[in-house]
Amino acid sequence: MVKICKASLKYASGDGLDRISLEVRSGEFVYLVGPTGAGKSSVLKMIYMDALPSEGYVTVGGYDSRDISDNEIPFVRRKIGIVFQDFKLLEDRDVFENVAFALRVTGARRKDIKRKTLRALGEVSLPHKSRKMPHELSGGEQQRVAIARAIVNDPFILLADEPTGNLDPKTTIQIMNILDRLSTRGTAILMATHNYELVNSSVKRVVSIKNGTTLN
Amino acid sequence: MLFVLGEGLSGLLKSRLSGLMAVITIAVSSILIGIFLIITANLSYLVENLRGRVELEVFLDDSFNEEKIETLSTQIRAIHGVQTLTFISKETAVLAYRDLFKEQKDDYFDALGYNPLPASFRVTLKESYRTSTGADSVFNSISSLADINEDDVVYRREFLVLMERYIRIAITIDFLVGSIVCLSALLLVSNNIRLIIISKRRAIETMKLVGATRFLIRMPLYIQGTLQGLIGGLLATVFLYGLLKLSAIEIAGLISVNWQIYILLITLGVLLGVTGSFSAIRRYL
Repeated sequence: MVKICKASLKYASGDGLDRISLEVRSGEFVYLVGPTGAGKSSVLKMIYMDALPSEGYVTVGGYDSRDISDNEIPFVRRKIGIVFQDFKLLEDRDVFENVAFALRVTGARRKDIKRKTLRALGEVSLPHKSRKMPHELSGGEQQRVAIARAIVNDPFILLADEPTGNLDPKTTIQIMNILDRLSTRGTAILMATHNYELVNSSVKRVVSIKNGTTLN
Repeated sequence: MLFVLGEGLSGLLKSRLSGLMAVITIAVSSILIGIFLIITANLSYLVENLRGRVELEVFLDDSFNEEKIETLSTQIRAIHGVQTLTFISKETAVLAYRDLFKEQKDDYFDALGYNPLPASFRVTLKESYRTSTGADSVFNSISSLADINEDDVVYRREFLVLMERYIRIAITIDFLVGSIVCLSALLLVSNNIRLIIISKRRAIETMKLVGATRFLIRMPLYIQGTLQGLIGGLLATVFLYGLLKLSAIEIAGLISVNWQIYILLITLGVLLGVTGSFSAIRRYL
């Protein structure tokens, strides 16, 4: 499903990843842990093809980093859901439009857009706030909207980059419960975090990364 | 496609201040370019008009008979650069003279008892010969004909040389001003779209993350730029039309404003919008 094989990534600063390998299977929940700057976000970037490895390769849902063209990258991303610590919501659109946006760019039909958007908002228990603007929501609610946007296209994997980094413990539990539920329904989850407390409290697979070199 | 159009339109409506600035920039630039075009068009018209008036006069000796006049006429017509040749007989010359000086009560011809005015050919030049060098070459060709002396051929050479000098200066200024206005307009529009791209950076980043293609990301910006250009061009047209009507600047025959200039202004606005967006998108996206 997602396979990273001996992939290296070099940044001009000298940082990067060195011969990293990782595989995530359908419905699997994997924590990617490591200190800040270890390269967690770079691993995610390789998966959504924002950065292509200089050595090794990455395969995502049939696409291979070695022969992917720039025009194909948007189509890889339509199979992936991505959630960030800072939510990345569009401030000039309401909740419904933020979620529907991911469908509109794929050219989905209007009828399907409404149905799928409301369903995704239902998954994160926010259909009643569909006409609210992002600034009217709490941090936890904004992250739930971001999750709804990430899952509205029925992705096979959800990449979450420190999704609870800006949230209080109670809201963190809410978000984790949503991710857990998605995982049990078959969506693979790869969650980058440096919250060891959160990781240690669960029994999921953990992959650690340090200085961009060690992965186990 | 509907999504792209919608994004372009909503981008225009949401951009408010920056969008308004872009529209005003395009409108002001189009007005300046419009004025420049009107000046250029009228300058060209004036130049062509003045050049069209350039003609040579070939005075004929009174001793020339009809046959000789006919031969000379054929020879002159055959010279490169000659467009038309009109024969002015002695009698026609008198009529023309009387018409020109009709306010004078005394008739010199009656006093003299004979007609001193010579017959002549009036020679007009082909368009490409309506310059001092072109007229010179026709002048030399006619003067070199047997029976024609250099003194018998006259044209307003000094006027032509002077006119050419002023035209050169005017065209250089015209071209420089026009180039500066066009370049400034393009830079202003491009900078404006750059600001729009910066303000939309977050939306563009999100669009990329959710799988929007390059077409879907760029097209709304092109549409926005085009619409801004169209509105700017329309505003410029309305403004310039009003200005010209109010100031009654259209002096018959001299400063004329063709309706095509308005179509050109709208097209120019759109082109500025598209080119500005294109250059900014290529550089900053």
